[in-house]
Amino acid sequence: MKHACFRKTVIVTLYFFIMAGLYCAAGYQSAYSEERVVSPPIATPEEADKGAIRSSAGVLAANKAAPEAADEYGDVTGKDVGGKPAAEDEYGNVKEGKEEAEGEGARIADPIEPWNRGMYHFNDKLYFWALKPVARGYKAVLPEDIRVIINNFYFNLKAPVRIVNNLLQGKFKFAGLEVSRFLINSTVGVGGLRDCAKECFGITGREADFGQTLGKYGLGHGFYIVWPFLGPSSARDSAGFVADWYLVPVTYIIWPPSAKDDLVNPLSVIVYTHNTINYTTFHIGEYEMLKNASIDPYVSMRDIYAQYRKKKVED
Amino acid sequence: MKKTLALSVLLLCFAMSSLAFAGVALDTVKANANGVLDVLKDPKLKGEAGKKVKEQRIELAAEKLFDFVELSKRTLGMNWNKFTPEQRKEFVQLYKKILKDAYVDKITSYTNQEVNFTKEVPLAENMVEVQSVVVSKGSEVNIFYRVMKKGEEWKVYDVVIEGVSLINNYRTQFREILGNNPPQVLLDTLRKKGASK
Repeated sequence: MKHACFRKTVIVTLYFFIMAGLYCAAGYQSAYSEERVVSPPIATPEEADKGAIRSSAGVLAANKAAPEAADEYGDVTGKDVGGKPAAEDEYGNVKEGKEEAEGEGARIADPIEPWNRGMYHFNDKLYFWALKPVARGYKAVLPEDIRVIINNFYFNLKAPVRIVNNLLQGKFKFAGLEVSRFLINSTVGVGGLRDCAKECFGITGREADFGQTLGKYGLGHGFYIVWPFLGPSSARDSAGFVADWYLVPVTYIIWPPSAKDDLVNPLSVIVYTHNTINYTTFHIGEYEMLKNASIDPYVSMRDIYAQYRKKKVED
Repeated sequence: MKKTLALSVLLLCFAMSSLAFAGVALDTVKANANGVLDVLKDPKLKGEAGKKVKEQRIELAAEKLFDFVELSKRTLGMNWNKFTPEQRKEFVQLYKKILKDAYVDKITSYTNQEVNFTKEVPLAENMVEVQSVVVSKGSEVNIFYRVMKKGEEWKVYDVVIEGVSLINNYRTQFREILGNNPPQVLLDTLRKKGASK
């Protein structure tokens, strides 16, 4: 047992070092990739040339048209781009493409885009060929109430993650609320099957994870990475994922008994998969809609991830 | 059909009412969204009959509800200036079509959700964020509408779902295309996307 524990520590330490290394590398590269936000060229060089001529003519025309302001199709000024009036000044000297740095701030470096695009397509196929059909069958078999109960159970199981991270983030009130939620739901809620804390007492908590905690302490994403099976993440949030994995009780239930006491034991994989399938039954159609609405699904998903995590860190 | 009319009337009312002060923004978006939900929940509206008309009504209502020019400008940011006046007009139309194609079907398939409007937060002068939570079994989704007072009307210029802004999302995608292509390429891409529907 002691040996296993030691091994775990080594794995985690190594992991953090690797992540830290990757992070530094990303920091080095990010300046480069910030500038390089490039999509595969859509036009042939010829077309692009023609377009460039047209567009420079367009700029001329636009400049000419500019004096007739008031026109709603006129040039944008600072106030049209930023969210606040203060943005007017910020955007005053944007001309050199600086708006990319301050416009929305939810950008993420993507130095390993080819790998990420490959993994995105892998996960996309995985969703349509495996996860979605399985979730549909599962949904057809299990009534909604049962699926809600299972959702509650898994959510309650992850209470330690929320408690610890709320503490680490200095959100003591929420940490306390999560403790009471965990106690109530584990007892009155019969082992977390029912979210009684919320339904009976109106106690709501706050979700928190270690990637978010690191973000709160000022650590950036590092870079975007799409994992097979697990989906979009970043260097920082991947490290956070591993750390949180250690706070989920299932990780410590070694099953089958013959399994090695390791980071990933069969039971935790089964639980993770089941949780994902159960969760997906409530969200079928959402990914499809987002994909359908996008011009470049990969870029869209990456941006959604960046925006969503930024919000979490600011929250 | 009747319900469709009711929906569009509601949406029209929302868009046309002249609202002088903040606080009204929430009430109007709320009234509007609840009106839409009532219509969508109506079992009588199922079926193919009148679907076309229904879509047209929604499109008309959307036209009044959203400020598509504002939305387009905010999406393109400074890149907007690279477009000629004609290209700008075309862009607004193409962008509108893509949004419509993407979301109208989804909106019309809503059934058992409950929408709670929680509060409105002033963002700037004449700009308000109306916050709502869409509750359905197993999930809660935060949907915030950013509305802006244009003249006497409150118009939506961005929708933020769980912290993800619609216009920021498209801005990122468009910027990748405009990064090394002229505006015409973006317009062609949008046209192709719109035509594939």
